[in-house]
Amino acid sequence: MKPTQQIVSWVLQLGIIALLAPAAYYKLTGHNESTALFTTLGMEPGGRYIIGFLEATACALLLTPNSAVHGAILTLGIMIGAIIAHLSKIWFDSMFAYFSIALVIASSIVIYLRRKQIKSIARMLN
Amino acid sequence: MAASINLHKISRFANLAIPSMAVLFFLGGHFVSFYFHFLTVTFLLLTVVNLFYLYIQKKHTILRNFGILGQARYILESIGPEMRQYLFANDTEERPFNRIERSEIYRKAKGIDSASSFGSQLDFDNSEIKVRHSMYPVDRENIKDFALTFGEERGLENTYTINKPYIISAMSYGALGKNAVQALTRGARMAGIPINTGEGGTPKYHMDEGGELIFQMGTAKFGVRNDDGSLNDEKLRKLCAEPSIKMIEIKLSQGAKPGKGGLLPKEKITQEISDLRGVPLGQDVVSPAHHIECMCKQSTVAFIKRVQDVCMIPVGVKICIGKTSEFRDMVREMKAQNVFPDFLAIDGAEGGTGAAPKAFMDGYGMPLMPALFSANKILTEEGVRGRMKIIAAGKLINSSKQFIALALGADAIYSARGFMLSLGCIQAMLCGNNTCPVGITTHDPSLQKGLIVEEKAKRIANYVKGLEHDFYEMLAASGIKDAKDINMDQLYIPDDTALADQINALLKNANL
Ligand SMILES: Cc1cc2nc3c(=O)[nH]c(=O)nc-3n(C[C@H](O)[C@H](O)[C@H](O)COP(=O)(O)O)c2cc1C
Repeated sequence: MKPTQQIVSWVLQLGIIALLAPAAYYKLTGHNESTALFTTLGMEPGGRYIIGFLEATACALLLTPNSAVHGAILTLGIMIGAIIAHLSKIWFDSMFAYFSIALVIASSIVIYLRRKQIKSIARMLN
Repeated sequence: MAASINLHKISRFANLAIPSMAVLFFLGGHFVSFYFHFLTVTFLLLTVVNLFYLYIQKKHTILRNFGILGQARYILESIGPEMRQYLFANDTEERPFNRIERSEIYRKAKGIDSASSFGSQLDFDNSEIKVRHSMYPVDRENIKDFALTFGEERGLENTYTINKPYIISAMSYGALGKNAVQALTRGARMAGIPINTGEGGTPKYHMDEGGELIFQMGTAKFGVRNDDGSLNDEKLRKLCAEPSIKMIEIKLSQGAKPGKGGLLPKEKITQEISDLRGVPLGQDVVSPAHHIECMCKQSTVAFIKRVQDVCMIPVGVKICIGKTSEFRDMVREMKAQNVFPDFLAIDGAEGGTGAAPKAFMDGYGMPLMPALFSANKILTEEGVRGRMKIIAAGKLINSSKQFIALALGADAIYSARGFMLSLGCIQAMLCGNNTCPVGITTHDPSLQKGLIVEEKAKRIANYVKGLEHDFYEMLAASGIKDAKDINMDQLYIPDDTALADQINALLKNANL
């Protein structure tokens, strides 16, 4: 990666963490809003813990250069799920919906920038 | 009707199935339980990757034709070497060293008795050289202890004597990691044999271990060069004054890449190595194909003389033989100038390397046995065989091969990979990548940590002990009381071997 790409990637990673870490925290501690959301989805409380745990994992992975790309893939997956939820069950009733779209875009860019670090693919692409 | 798998059909099915599954799981998630959406997301991502493989990327035919299922092929291919080595390869099938050869080394290195049962797995169908025994074996007490003195021909004051016919062949710090160098040098010291430093510049780690060293001067002369690559006499003189430096070896060529200089890939150049060799970081180090002093036979022989004059210790030459006629010319030039190297190290084309271009590794140079035979014959015919010692190198990792080389004219045995195997090399063939899984040819600390110097040094010593044991037993069985008397009469050379062809051709064509 070129230095500018490095910087872009790190800014995005930190941005993702800034949005994702509080979300994970609220889910895992059972904040009212989270509980309400997951009741609507019919996943309370199991799904809430699973998603919260996955979000926390993604944050941790995004913090080191070697695992960041996997953190971004995980974020992308969770956020596609979130968008599905918004589209199909809860609609765009809050700013969280726009967060998830932003995160999909940000994590896609990180994955693109760090695509060489996905081991099985990297092996083939060189 | 043969049952066959039509990968193309299966992959077409998969390429349809993956997006269909995504839709299916979406419906499940919508109408049954939101948990289905975990699978929806997974299959959506797979669909995207698959579309990328099929329609966007252009480099990989298999991925473009088969999509994500084609990836299985790449995964299998990448783990193939390990699979073959562990599961499917025959005991006698792998190269450069098959499992039988390797396990003999492993056993010797661990000090385990090497007796085997039932029978040999090697060939007896006229394609392998065997050693002839005598009807009258001799006892160990009646066999003279091995001793070989380098430099005695020139009446040097600082001659060097070895008491075992083994020397660890050139492997530089750079090609090898620090732990490997320390373990080899310490092991060599424990075993009482010398070790060649390789062309890695000032042999810092070798000297710290206090072994007996043969300093190798590669074509780039790392450690003793001027900036233009010519010899700096002063630096060489200083190095030779080190008590651990016993001999100097001028490398003219190496079996794995004859006609080319050494190569150290940039992955393996650390700050320390760049300092020791005086080369920049971040680019491959390619040594020149020849010493800049050595342009022809006259200048080459004159260069040997110059080094001998500077050093005052035995000075030898390492070559891989290409054209025997050139070799004969050089020997005649030596006679003309009355300059002879104290030893001639003959490296067979089958020799190993940390990194070499494939064309050279596979396609260049004379294999050891015929090269050794011809060199010995030429020196004898020119009447100067007595002016130097011959050391042979090239897959001489087990006792019988070594004995054959001694019979063909060698006085001592060089091995590099035999000692690497003793260190625990598993023949992963990654020496140039800095990713050696057993920490030998890598500078990565996390890979080197498995190589415990003290432990592996013992393996080296055990290996030498095992070889020496076999050596005297073989002398006894052949009825030979002095290693100097080993000669070709001790060999059974079947007609179908490459060596037999070579010998016949040489006998017919006396003037090569
Ligand atoms: C990892 C490795 C590094 C080597 N480095 C050198 C070197 O620096 N200079 C040299 O002349 N030969 C070098 N060689 C070649 C060996 O010294 C030796 O000539 C050759 O491998 C034949 O011996 P073998 O079949 O017992 O390995 C190297 C070989 C290996 C395997």
